[in-house]
Amino acid sequence: MSIDNTTIQDQDDNNTNTNKQLRKISHPPALRIIPPLNFCPVEKQLYRSGQPSIINQSFLNELNLKTIIWLASEEPSDDFLEYCNYNDINIEFIGMINEFEYDQQRLQNPWDSLTDSTIRKALQIIVQKKNYPILISCGMGRHRTGTVIGCLRRLQGWNLASVSEEYRRFTGARGGRILVELLIEGFDINSVEIDLEKAPDWLKVD
Amino acid sequence: MSMTDLNDDPFQMDEDFDSSSNKKLIYTSSNSIPPSQNDIHYMRSNIEQLKLENNNTTTNTTEEEEKFEEDLDDKLDLNLQNKIQLEYEKQQLDNLPLTPPENFALVVGKIYRSSFPQPSNFSFLNKLNLNSILCLIPEDYPILQNEFLQDNNIKLFQLGMSGNKEPFVKISSELITEAAKIVLNPKNQPILIHCNRGKHRTGCLIGVIRRLQNWSLTIIFDEYRKFASPKERPMDQQFIELYDDAEIKKHCHENNLLPLKWD
Repeated sequence: MSIDNTTIQDQDDNNTNTNKQLRKISHPPALRIIPPLNFCPVEKQLYRSGQPSIINQSFLNELNLKTIIWLASEEPSDDFLEYCNYNDINIEFIGMINEFEYDQQRLQNPWDSLTDSTIRKALQIIVQKKNYPILISCGMGRHRTGTVIGCLRRLQGWNLASVSEEYRRFTGARGGRILVELLIEGFDINSVEIDLEKAPDWLKVD
Repeated sequence: MSMTDLNDDPFQMDEDFDSSSNKKLIYTSSNSIPPSQNDIHYMRSNIEQLKLENNNTTTNTTEEEEKFEEDLDDKLDLNLQNKIQLEYEKQQLDNLPLTPPENFALVVGKIYRSSFPQPSNFSFLNKLNLNSILCLIPEDYPILQNEFLQDNNIKLFQLGMSGNKEPFVKISSELITEAAKIVLNPKNQPILIHCNRGKHRTGCLIGVIRRLQNWSLTIIFDEYRKFASPKERPMDQQFIELYDDAEIKKHCHENNLLPLKWD
């Protein structure tokens, strides 16, 4: 066993060795695909993650994204903007610090929660089929993304405990924020206008 | 109706139960109430009893369990309770909010993962239009879950893996390979993978699927830990890393299954 291992290792290290047996050994692929932090599919063609960057491009290519809902308070890097531009990915900035529509002149901090109106804006994009495939992302893919997904789940008729369980799964060691959960619980799902003809199939009520 | 109204009645009875003679008490009490009484208290108390009963069988020692299984009366009673609960749920289907099983998530394409689905999850699962379910635990599939599968024409695959803890080397690569073949077969999709908690055995299988997608190991582990939290097992992660994917890759290439499609 150990002898086999060492010979394989030796051959492995020595690339000039053209032993045919060597080719039969399976290797990890050279290209490691790196999804963004906290990536997870939510529904068909709807994904969530932390802030995507250029190192995720081979992964993002697979998703054929049409829209990124950018909830982070910071702007994406130039090379990432370029990537999106080149691939015709529409970035919807929601909840930015320098957002044009100030909410009652209130300045936004990166650690602030989203507001009802920003959540609604995000959901209004999500309920339209034409924007798919969509990636929802924020800095770490925890709280802001979790807020929007949480409200979407309520829109889908999930009970609050299940919504909270999912939210907390993505919040890391420091756990969930009560304020986020209050926001999800208090969000008026009837304020989202859904045109069933234009909604993704999984959202349709049967 | 306030919360206390709902709680008082059935819970008071539960507290009175002597845990050793629970089964008998449940049996007699469910018979003493006329079945025609279509009262929410009655339904609820039956569900509470069923839950109690289920808890009991799992915590019983194996000897006690065997004794109970031989007792025909108990079996019949359980069936009755199950029927009642099913009826109750069908009634409530439209009113209740949807409850996904714990640790539920979409994995890729039409592959889903979760913990063991409970009757309260059935109305949610219905929406997924599942073709099949892959169960990774060796125990017999419960009656109620089986009925749900039959009612909805869902195929059940069962690959019993022992969820050994300490030297957890026991998880079998061969079984994981078999499991992956089932899951990746488009004919079986949409498919739901589950074990008991949806953490370890399911996590290992998902890890293997992620490797087929060429994900970096760091991200695979991160995903594994998210679902296994707070009971992450280093040995599971080691399994995911060291799993020899030669056979499953060959299978995938022969059947043209790769790359896995996101939609």
